[in-house]
Amino acid sequence: MKILDKSKLKDLLNSLSGEAQVFAPVNEDDVIKFQPWTDGKEVDLSSNALLPPKDLLFPQTETMYRYTTKGMKAEVAEVAAGSEKQVIFAIRPCDVRSFLMMDDVFLTKGYEDDYYKNKRDNTILISLGCKDPEPTCFCDSMGIDKSESEHADIVMFDLGEQLALDAKTDAGKALLDSLSELEDGSADKPDTAECIIKVEPQGLAEKLAKMFEHPYWEELSRKCIGCGACTYLCPTCHCFDIRRKNVGEEGFQFRCWDSCMFSEYTRMAGGHNPRPSKKERVRNRFLHKLQYFPERYDKVACVGCGRCLAKCPVNMDITRIIKELGEVAVNE
Amino acid sequence: MMDIVQKMRNKAKELLEQEEVKLVIGWEKGTFWYQSPPMFITNPDDADRLVWDQFCINNLSKYLLDYKHLDGKIALFVKGCDARGINRLLQDQQINRDKLVILGVPCPGMKDAEAAKKAKENQVDQLPLAERCADCTTPNPMVFDELMADEVVVAEIDETKRFESVLQLEEKASDEKYDFWKSQYDKCIRCFACRNVCPACNCRECCFDLAEPEWLGKRVVTSENQFFALTRAMHVAGRCIECGECERVCPMDIPIMSLNKKIIKDINNLFGDYDAGMDLEDKPPLGKYDENDPEEFM
Amino acid sequence: MSEPAKKQLEEHPLVPVTGIVTKIIDETPDVKTFHIKFENGRPFTPMPGQVAMLSLLSIGEAMFSVRIVDEDHLEFSLKKTGIVTDALHEIEEGQEVGVRGPYGNGFPVDLCKGKDMLFIGMGIGLAPVRTMIYHCINNREDYGKMQIVYGARSPQDLVFKEDLLENWHEVPNCSVDVTVDRGDDEWTGSVDFVPPFVEKLAPKPENTIAIICGPPIGIKFTLPVMEKLGFTNDQIITTLEMRMKCGIGKCGRCNIGSCYVCLDGPVFSLEQLKTMPNEY
Repeated sequence: MKILDKSKLKDLLNSLSGEAQVFAPVNEDDVIKFQPWTDGKEVDLSSNALLPPKDLLFPQTETMYRYTTKGMKAEVAEVAAGSEKQVIFAIRPCDVRSFLMMDDVFLTKGYEDDYYKNKRDNTILISLGCKDPEPTCFCDSMGIDKSESEHADIVMFDLGEQLALDAKTDAGKALLDSLSELEDGSADKPDTAECIIKVEPQGLAEKLAKMFEHPYWEELSRKCIGCGACTYLCPTCHCFDIRRKNVGEEGFQFRCWDSCMFSEYTRMAGGHNPRPSKKERVRNRFLHKLQYFPERYDKVACVGCGRCLAKCPVNMDITRIIKELGEVAVNE
Repeated sequence: MMDIVQKMRNKAKELLEQEEVKLVIGWEKGTFWYQSPPMFITNPDDADRLVWDQFCINNLSKYLLDYKHLDGKIALFVKGCDARGINRLLQDQQINRDKLVILGVPCPGMKDAEAAKKAKENQVDQLPLAERCADCTTPNPMVFDELMADEVVVAEIDETKRFESVLQLEEKASDEKYDFWKSQYDKCIRCFACRNVCPACNCRECCFDLAEPEWLGKRVVTSENQFFALTRAMHVAGRCIECGECERVCPMDIPIMSLNKKIIKDINNLFGDYDAGMDLEDKPPLGKYDENDPEEFM
Repeated sequence: MSEPAKKQLEEHPLVPVTGIVTKIIDETPDVKTFHIKFENGRPFTPMPGQVAMLSLLSIGEAMFSVRIVDEDHLEFSLKKTGIVTDALHEIEEGQEVGVRGPYGNGFPVDLCKGKDMLFIGMGIGLAPVRTMIYHCINNREDYGKMQIVYGARSPQDLVFKEDLLENWHEVPNCSVDVTVDRGDDEWTGSVDFVPPFVEKLAPKPENTIAIICGPPIGIKFTLPVMEKLGFTNDQIITTLEMRMKCGIGKCGRCNIGSCYVCLDGPVFSLEQLKTMPNEY
């Protein structure tokens, strides 16, 4: 275990920046977000970032390739290159867990998404254990140890005036050994408070498989305003659109986040829309998290980070929804 | 407020039991004590979940667009700002007045939920008002079928307070203004919460959703975000009812109302004072022609 | 087949390879068929029923059923229905286009071996069916009797006329029956909607697999007829269409329940569909 005095945090981040681009939570214009670290920025460890770090592996807007078109000629000019090394500093255990779900989506089932893979393979995760969960947090219920992330390269604990760092992978160990700001030491893992909100999503998928036509969805969807805040703030939501931008004879194909809550998301050429109203879209979102994803990847697509709960304009509360779904009667 | 709540519950129950309405829209308690999100009641037994407290901040008027084709009447509870939203939708012929039972609830002002997060439930009285409520000139509904309580006294609002953020921004040099709005809208994740919640945004098909022509590119970059922001601001110009919902629902804390209020202030200067949604007969200045309209460019 | 192109599609599954449109066939006023030639050979060998993304690089991509013409050529047939297809209908021979794929499961060619095959196509739905028809023709000894039923709105809307009216009549142990919803002065064939037409033809269900593709409304009304004729759900195979962007089961939008049409479909048996949410 290594110990860092918090006064040397900037030095540590500067050292890390020698080898890789470091991303750390920074509060800018009232939003905590993982930002490229440069000397002079203030790291904010007070609470989890409002925007999940998923955009570091799966950017909200990402160029895929460039092309030229001239008359009848068309040429794919350049496939977007691989990623540089990056370190995500102070990522919380819930968000680390979300990367496992992203891995399932982007790296399994027959196709590896090379854009994602290049970044994932070049990313080192330094996680920060949580001591005081927010009132909206419910990671406990999703089987996550918020004190220590099991899938980070380096786990970090906040000791007050100091940070303790412990390597969990070879890459993490090599990195820790290279940092002169750190001193050998030992510390007890700080106590962590329990999340206030508790849910039991286990076993729900089987019940939901019988609930597709249940009137619950109509009632649930009424207050939803159909915005994409929940999906864009969700660390496990991964839907994207593919579009292009032309400038004269040149152009580029890009992908960008998309949201299943948007009406045009499933609208086909010709106008048919299999999910034409809020009811179908809200149902799909929650069934995707609680039934479809578990069926496909054996994981509930929610890490209990509470971002949707904190920011939904109409208090669509996934924890309450999980409870209600567990309680409603289903006709066999 | 408890008396009002009971009256609201009784009214909702009565309307549903007597089958005068198919649906009642109000507020209920949410996950936390400082949340009173929208509630939709079709079963009279659920009326007892209705609440009225200082967290009923959601403007309910926009939901009427979801029920344009409902076979039957809708009752909804409205604060002053919600009522202005209803007038806006009526003016745009989006809804039919005959299908509404409007239950007015004079509003003492809603509390700041962000401040509440750091407070205790028994400290409600000490909480500040939500920013948008602090300069409210219309706490009492101006369109209703029945009032659930006596009208509240309207506080004198200093115009400079109403436009305080605008005045501050107007002080800035052009480059500073640009930098300010650039950094604000660089945060935008384009979730469209501001548009979706807005009672002035009632196009059947929004230009931002069109793939052809693709007015708004889907890249989340400075140019597209600013195009979105400015187009939307200009589109609701003269129709914004200042309910502040756009700014409240923005997950990125973009001060959208400063943009809207700048336009309101300019419209007032150019066309005379106008408050959208106050009077059904008073058409928006940019939606009508008047021979006294300024014509600097002619 | 071109190994480098195949490798590129494996390493960068979302990036197209380009080819040249060498032939455009006007099938109907709103359906065209495109032959696309690839330098050094076609980039992949689709199974019957598989799909691929066809793109005009500056306009966009869309997913279509794809068929092998020969070592160098792939073929797409598409109906004008949106931005991409509208633009593709405007191009001329010599245009370079992008292609990536193949995607999806394809028809269960092995399961169908030794079976009599009933093909029912409606409108442009004949395009995917035709990939399987050609597979059966090219492997004629593996399959039993072939019965092809096709319906279009009008005589002008008949696609693949050469196949329907000539080529397939030459295939041994194969029947071809064509109908139109509305005839015209020159049409001497059958005038009927597909469901009653199928009912009158009364194909036998014994040891038969039926492949039915067409607009959802056509499929909806044909299924009860099939049931009446004694076909069971596992004997009926169809293809589904959903909006797609990636084609590789990542982008999310083509899900029906926990299955992705681009990856787990587009071919489904009616038996499978009965277990899936009715949301397509």
